Amino acid sequence: MHLRRTTARLLRAAFVPLVAVLALSGCTNPNAAAPSAPAAATSWTYTDDVGNTVTLDHVPSKISGFTDQVLSLMSYGVKPVATFGRTDVKTDTRFANYDMDGVAIVGNTYGEIDLEALASAQPDLIVTAAYPTDREGTIDTTQPYYGFKDLEQQKKLEAIAPIVTIKVGGAGLDVIKANTRLALALGADQAKVDEAQKAYEAAAANLTKVAGEKGLKVAAMYADADGVYLVKTADEPETQLYASLGVDYLSLNPGGNYYWDIYSWENAAKVKDVDVILLSNEGYQVADLRKQATFADSPALKAGQVFERRVSPLDYSSQARNLDTLAGQLSSAQKVTR
Amino acid sequence: MTTFGVLTVALLVTLAASLFLGSNPVSPATVLQALLDPATDTEAIVWGSRVPRTVLGLLVGTALGMAGTVMQGQTGNPLADPGLFGVSAGASLAVVLGVFVLHVNSLGLTLALSLVGAVIASVVVFGVAALGRDLASPVPLAIAGTAVSALLGAVTSFLVLNDAETLEAYRIWVVGSLSGRSLAEVGPVVLLLAGGLVCALVNARSLNNLALGSEMARGLGESLTRARLVGLGAITFLTAGAVALAGPIGFIGLTAPHVGRALVGGDHYRLLPASALVGAVTLLACDVVGRLIGGQAEVAVGVVLAVLGGVAFVVIVRRAKLAVL
Repeated sequence: MHLRRTTARLLRAAFVPLVAVLALSGCTNPNAAAPSAPAAATSWTYTDDVGNTVTLDHVPSKISGFTDQVLSLMSYGVKPVATFGRTDVKTDTRFANYDMDGVAIVGNTYGEIDLEALASAQPDLIVTAAYPTDREGTIDTTQPYYGFKDLEQQKKLEAIAPIVTIKVGGAGLDVIKANTRLALALGADQAKVDEAQKAYEAAAANLTKVAGEKGLKVAAMYADADGVYLVKTADEPETQLYASLGVDYLSLNPGGNYYWDIYSWENAAKVKDVDVILLSNEGYQVADLRKQATFADSPALKAGQVFERRVSPLDYSSQARNLDTLAGQLSSAQKVTR
Repeated sequence: MTTFGVLTVALLVTLAASLFLGSNPVSPATVLQALLDPATDTEAIVWGSRVPRTVLGLLVGTALGMAGTVMQGQTGNPLADPGLFGVSAGASLAVVLGVFVLHVNSLGLTLALSLVGAVIASVVVFGVAALGRDLASPVPLAIAGTAVSALLGAVTSFLVLNDAETLEAYRIWVVGSLSGRSLAEVGPVVLLLAGGLVCALVNARSLNNLALGSEMARGLGESLTRARLVGLGAITFLTAGAVALAGPIGFIGLTAPHVGRALVGGDHYRLLPASALVGAVTLLACDVVGRLIGGQAEVAVGVVLAVLGGVAFVVIVRRAKLAVL
């Protein structure tokens, strides 16, 4: 897996209770400023998922941030002034549906952010992710937030604009809610959010129906020369969400190491008996899997039921699309395991 | 028992260990039965994983042990490793370019690319060195190799640091591993390795003469250009083949000749096979260790070697008579 993404993925964890508490406590609160301050009525306060409170004297209108988070905001109609990504933003297909006019691209490699370009976009706010380092949802504060090179860079970014983080770990629906809460606090149209939520709920119901009818065993994995990396369903917000909607993931060892277990090719037989493989678009692909003698007779592989596993932003709108894609993949597949 | 007897026994022991031990604890009886009757190997653990990596370990370890010996003999430098003439750097850049430009994502193509890159790099190194002056001294070759390696390394770093996808592919490849490979694509590489082996053995006499110094070698009727050319061929073919099969694996090319020299002395007719045996034993043993310490995952042999090899080299440097060369 990507060094960076590995870190990121490894950093995803369950931390439902705190996320929920923070969600309750983090609403826009015009009374948060000192009572003596006359500007209190127009001030903007937001407590993010890791407990940092940002107070501004106006509702931030110029938003900047990491692509994953910015995409969720854009899905609700909040257009940023600047964004930075882990890969080339221009060729990031997730932005294809959005108007990027006036959005400054200030970074195309993890940790490489053009601070001057970002500063000249004069953002009011920088939004990024924080990935937990374990199942309990611990955020390692000695490490920078996701997308930043180091704490020094993070400090410089904080000097440009306050940073708000979305904790990406635990229950998928909580992450969706966190992204939605931020979008609404930044002035997203409630009607648009409601519409997206409705589409999501319809897609979710459809996925549940398809998953129930098909009864397929699904493995979410990445593979390379070391072996198969089987995602732990409950540790990845997305698989957690889809499992809660009825998708039956292969989940062998929910305890133990966080995020995934590695099965060397000698041990690959333990993870091969599935109907559908959702394979990361990085690392080994179908042709390479077929060359692995210990895995080649996987029913899913033999039946050609291997689909690209795309990790999509966690918001109602993006997830509605992703759920439909997954439902389509599952409907096209057949039960091939005993 | 002679030294070669001991080395052969050691090789047989590590070969057996490589077949019988792994991250999936299969009973020795089951392994034996699978070896004798492949039809019983239902999970393909023996014939699909252990046999291929054992064969690869044998090939790569032998090649690196020999390549290191030729490299140290050619340069008269006990700290020279087979990557000195730019072979590893060339292979790395070719793999990185393949991912960056062509989005190559398959095992077979990676193997082919690393092979091409390795050969081109060493031809360039030899060309640069030959352009400058005669090849009596190993210094121009070493300098050209270092310079070309540095240049290629810089380009590799530039590409890798600018593209996450490339970094990812490079990161996996550069560790060096015997896992996940099949023997299906090994054929052409074996020919290359055989060519390298022949070159190395042909070069043995020249290496013995070169050990006396370039002037003395010339006095003994040695054609220095031919000696350099054959030696470079041996190093390139052996290292390029090894790199293509397993990625750049360090320390074996550097340490195996030292162990070999301590065991059989400086005569290359004896040193080359001894270093080859030491290289194969070391690589296989480290691979087995890597399989056993990772639970149901494994630790790539490149990582094990980086840890154990580093320690071993310090011991060698402190104990052995490096001036032997």
